[in-house]
Amino acid sequence: MSHRYLQLRDPRSRRDFFRLAGITTVGGSAVFLAACGDDDDKGSGGAGGSGSGASKGDIATLNAALDLENTAVAAYAAGAPLLKGAVLELAEQFLEQEQEHVDGLTQAVKDLGGTPSKAKSEQQYADGFPKLQNEQDVLRFAVDLEETAVAAYIDAQAKLSTGELRGTAAAIGTNEAEHITALLGALGRPPVPDAFVTGKASP
Amino acid sequence: MNDRLIIRDGDVDTALVAEYEATRRDAVKKGIALGGGVLAAAAIPTLLLVRNAMAQAGSDEDIVTGAVGLEQTAVVAYATAAKSGLLKGPVEQAAALFGKQEQEHADGLITALEDLGGKAPSPPTPEQVKGLSQVKDQNEILEFAVELETMAVAAYYEAHQRLQDAKLRQTGSSIMYNEGQHLVVLRQALNQNPVPNAFETGES
Repeated sequence: MSHRYLQLRDPRSRRDFFRLAGITTVGGSAVFLAACGDDDDKGSGGAGGSGSGASKGDIATLNAALDLENTAVAAYAAGAPLLKGAVLELAEQFLEQEQEHVDGLTQAVKDLGGTPSKAKSEQQYADGFPKLQNEQDVLRFAVDLEETAVAAYIDAQAKLSTGELRGTAAAIGTNEAEHITALLGALGRPPVPDAFVTGKASP
Repeated sequence: MNDRLIIRDGDVDTALVAEYEATRRDAVKKGIALGGGVLAAAAIPTLLLVRNAMAQAGSDEDIVTGAVGLEQTAVVAYATAAKSGLLKGPVEQAAALFGKQEQEHADGLITALEDLGGKAPSPPTPEQVKGLSQVKDQNEILEFAVELETMAVAAYYEAHQRLQDAKLRQTGSSIMYNEGQHLVVLRQALNQNPVPNAFETGES
């Protein structure tokens, strides 16, 4: 299992992995392709241009989300060797879903004429992560990251300029909130503590 | 996984069953609904009401009014489930909590609606929220709840694309996220994959 994660840490292997995984990744990207196609129809961009003020703002918002998603992928990969059994399976699935978000957001930024944020090196991520020594550390760190993502996607609702992108942000945010529930359950904490799930802004 | 939904015979308009089956096929195709199950035909009007609560709405006030109706329906559904005597232990506790949270959504949305100058619709009576009267066991209630929450997520997803006010969209997100979290617990109770969709949406 750890071998698989080592493979996933390498961008080229990861691409191959998700190409093999196939359908869901394509499906995820398609959401964004549809969204951005509609934006283009409104003429906000212009062929090959840098886009309107609205799309520049969208690119910045999507790239900020992309940074969080890349961090989440790195975090699940870093934590996986400390997990086993059902919790490892969950983390593995969540890593794949975060990667689907990365792929979708990357495509969306490209379609808007922007340059997608790139993932940092494994070492750079590791330097910024708390010390992970056991399953509890990994789960708590994952909850923190997911809470930050939830807050970011709610914030994005006030920034994104098209209905399609806002819908997609809500769909990704819902998935992150679902991760929180599963992670809290694995920690033995109440899995659905709040009727209004707003996350926590990053410190 | 088998995605066939069995709709048990009952007193319901055939056209409504057909509409719901088409809606659900769409949801399955788009990855939001997984797994089969048994659903009473009488549940269909309730599920369609939830799915379409905000679909016809134009203004923000109309959309929020629809959302209030959706949440009020969910409150009654969970209350009926809790009173059925069929739920046990953690599932019973979860249903009670989820009903309370749906009520919090309804209350919050009513405040937002009043701020917009609107008036809250009357909540439905238990008799109007059909679909739980003929359930046989806990699993059938869970399957109904999964359908209900899935339709709610789809309705909120669409509302995000049409709501004009950013704060209302943010409130909608925080509610939609909670409905997604309910789905996780319900799917776990049914031994299903708790988080099957990277993009939790009924549309593409």
